[in-house]
Amino acid sequence: METLFQQKASRYLLSVMLVYALLMATHKGEFWPLSIYPMFSQAGQPWTRALVRDVTNTPDSLKWQPTDFDELNGAPVALQDYGVDQIDFANFVSKTEDWNEKRRKALQKMFGREQIGNRELMVMKVHGRLVGRDSVVTKADPLMLVTSDTVYSLSGDTTKSKY
Amino acid sequence: MLNRFISDLFQTQKPRTRGELWYFKLFELFVGIYVIKYAWEWANYIPRNSDVVLPLGMANYIDISFMFGETMPVINAVLITVLCIFSFFRIQFRWQYFLVLILLHFQFVARYSQGEIPHSMNMIGMSLFALALATFFFKKPWQVSRFTFGSVYFFVGLSYFSAAVSKLIGTGLFWFDGRHLWLWIAEKSTDILSRTGTFELNFLQELALQSIPIASAILLFGWLTEFAGAFVWSKKYRPYAITAIIGMHIGITLTMNIRFDAYVIELLIIGYPWDQLFDRYQSSFPKFRKLSILTSS
Repeated sequence: METLFQQKASRYLLSVMLVYALLMATHKGEFWPLSIYPMFSQAGQPWTRALVRDVTNTPDSLKWQPTDFDELNGAPVALQDYGVDQIDFANFVSKTEDWNEKRRKALQKMFGREQIGNRELMVMKVHGRLVGRDSVVTKADPLMLVTSDTVYSLSGDTTKSKY
Repeated sequence: MLNRFISDLFQTQKPRTRGELWYFKLFELFVGIYVIKYAWEWANYIPRNSDVVLPLGMANYIDISFMFGETMPVINAVLITVLCIFSFFRIQFRWQYFLVLILLHFQFVARYSQGEIPHSMNMIGMSLFALALATFFFKKPWQVSRFTFGSVYFFVGLSYFSAAVSKLIGTGLFWFDGRHLWLWIAEKSTDILSRTGTFELNFLQELALQSIPIASAILLFGWLTEFAGAFVWSKKYRPYAITAIIGMHIGITLTMNIRFDAYVIELLIIGYPWDQLFDRYQSSFPKFRKLSILTSS
């Protein structure tokens, strides 16, 4: 009985391995729940994440200013208060190249119009990279200003808010 | 050698005991609870999505916009819940767990369509896959149990080993350079600030940021542990390999603020011979024997 089970189990496992190899080879190593787990495989590469600041009370001249990470303008915004997953958010922001109408609306929908209220939320891209032998530099670039009515983007002069 | 490998995975030399079946039902219960938990968590989140940024899995072939909105994710979650409960009590057709896996896959690709490729739910997904395979191919409870655990051991070992190899291919021998950890700590601190509005370094992060050798040692331990994941395939070394992997996950949580709750709980369940504990103490709980509905198909 055990021998028959062992033979069957081996055969089925081999079939599963073939399916696994085929799916990984044709889907860049990801087909949930199967994966080759490539996370953190490319070490030392610059990264881009995203965060949000409340710039409702920030002067217009500063709203669109790129800053170092420890000198961010505006007040902190906790995405968990809006029910937004921050990893999801960071990927949505960093991987979107064409900020068309659909994407802007999707961004606004993440926060929810009612939850935004009268606030002005500045979506920022944060970039990090290794510099020299022993330091990490992190900078933040304003990307989109989200209000309950509209999603604005910067155009032209970075010292003024043109939208 | 191949025979030994298969025998270690599927425990073919082990005597059959009732404790083994109780242990398996506990594992199945754990997987079922997490499957239902994910189904509902994703159902609650999907209405926030309205566009596919990065298609994963079946979203590469099917327009999954029908999953967006309020209704479909909830219907899907209800179906997954009902099917899971029926499957647990073996009120099922042969490919019922496969159906649960497919439904959960759609829930996953709709939830994670915004660019993130998460892996923290893969362990539960793989376990569900193993249950689907076992209940499809086998009928006898001991066969279902052993094939499920064997497949899970196989996938767990393969996952960690392939993660280690990916690092070797992606970066090379110096992947464990401590400055790489600095960069990741900065990245994850941005994520925490984004999520909570505040961030403070913990003791281990401060220690790693003060010294390249310490940061390198942390990464090296993690990397070697991933390579050692292949020892999960060996019955003899499995508890040690799993203990090291759990230690690695705790280290990742402390250094990079990434939690793997489901992984750690599942590793605790599959890593140690709990069935022997059930066998030893079941005589103290004779009523357990009467609940045979749970351990028979």
